[in-house]
Amino acid sequence: MQKLLNLIKKYSYLLLFLILETVAVILLANGSYFQQSRIHNFNRNLSGFIYSRVGNAREYLSLKKVNEALVLENRTLRNRLEVFSRMIDTASVGKKTREDYTYFYVPARVVHSSVFKQYNFLTLNRGKKHGVFKDMGVVSDQGLVGIVLESSKNYSTVIPVINRNFRLSAKIKSNNYAGIIVWEGDSPVLASLQEIPYHVSLHKGDTIVTSGFSAIFPEGIPVGTIESFTLEKGNFYDITIRLFTTFQNLFHVNVIRNYYREEQKQLERNITG
Amino acid sequence: MRIIARNIVRFIVVILLQVLLFDNIMLNGYLIPYFYLLFIILMPFETPGWLLLIAGFLLGFSIDLFEHTPGMHTAATVFMAFIRPYLLKLFGPRDGYEPDTFPRIFYYGFTWFLKYAVIMVFAHHLILFYLEVFSLNEFFSTFLRIILSTLLSVSVIVLSQYFVFRK
Repeated sequence: MQKLLNLIKKYSYLLLFLILETVAVILLANGSYFQQSRIHNFNRNLSGFIYSRVGNAREYLSLKKVNEALVLENRTLRNRLEVFSRMIDTASVGKKTREDYTYFYVPARVVHSSVFKQYNFLTLNRGKKHGVFKDMGVVSDQGLVGIVLESSKNYSTVIPVINRNFRLSAKIKSNNYAGIIVWEGDSPVLASLQEIPYHVSLHKGDTIVTSGFSAIFPEGIPVGTIESFTLEKGNFYDITIRLFTTFQNLFHVNVIRNYYREEQKQLERNITG
Repeated sequence: MRIIARNIVRFIVVILLQVLLFDNIMLNGYLIPYFYLLFIILMPFETPGWLLLIAGFLLGFSIDLFEHTPGMHTAATVFMAFIRPYLLKLFGPRDGYEPDTFPRIFYYGFTWFLKYAVIMVFAHHLILFYLEVFSLNEFFSTFLRIILSTLLSVSVIVLSQYFVFRK
């Protein structure tokens, strides 16, 4: 017994190191669980608070660019409105209720983002209080951004396209063939589209849009353009796409709420279950 | 106990600096200087081993919370704290370090500090970056990132010696 105690005492430093390192590895292995734990939820609120202060300062510096983008968007929206206002005379327009809208947009601001890691995240200054919940889509005026991972009362975290865990169904706009968007961790401006069969004809510069299959995003949100493609040994293309959204200077985004997602999910569950 | 009390403020300041300032500096759009390692590097010589490891754990864990990474910084920082006593013994003068001195440029000179800091930071980045990609597929591109990041982090840490911790 005495010998054992002496041994422990002698190697106590190494022992403590191994214990702490094991704890760290357990945290690492249970990464997704850790993300949802209570301590993390508390921290989401705290870091969200701090990051929104930093975000304020950074946003101020890029006001001019943001303004220009908003003016552009305003112009296109106004043009579209013009078309619809002419149609009002001929079409019957009753009072619209919530039932008539499938998707609803919640504007939000990015208060923190990482871009150059393998598992990047965004933090938004909108949470449950504002109707932002897990698994909602996030878009910017440029295109697809990501999917909400978790939300607390006032903040939410988003898995952007540039995270190795990201998966989303998307299609080629010109011929409607659908594949899956994943990110391989190389560059924050490129992603890849997989599972497009070899007989589809592709062209450099083709636009990729969301397919709307997942009920997270409406159909046709722009994702990116085809940068290059090669035919793998199997029957599928390996397509590199250039993303429309530039994550380095992303500030204003919209969270998409699909009022009928639950209904669609429920229905689909009935088939498989 | 006195060591803990004296370092608690520095602990908080280092974390805030890292999260608020250095995480926002991305040189060449690729590299982030990990300034917070300074805390472990500068701990006094007489710090007991267990305290060093615990400090490394808490420091890494705090950074993990802010960066939304599970356990990576914790693992890397604990490892770095672990090798510190061996490194100090390796680089130390023959009769040991003098009392009332600290591991800083002011006491032991630029070259000594640079050697010590480079190896500490490199060990940390080695663990951190490979845990992050979690594969040896992109071995060389990751290794290049480790070297460049080490250079950046060390420069920031060395520079801070001339601005803040002069004595």
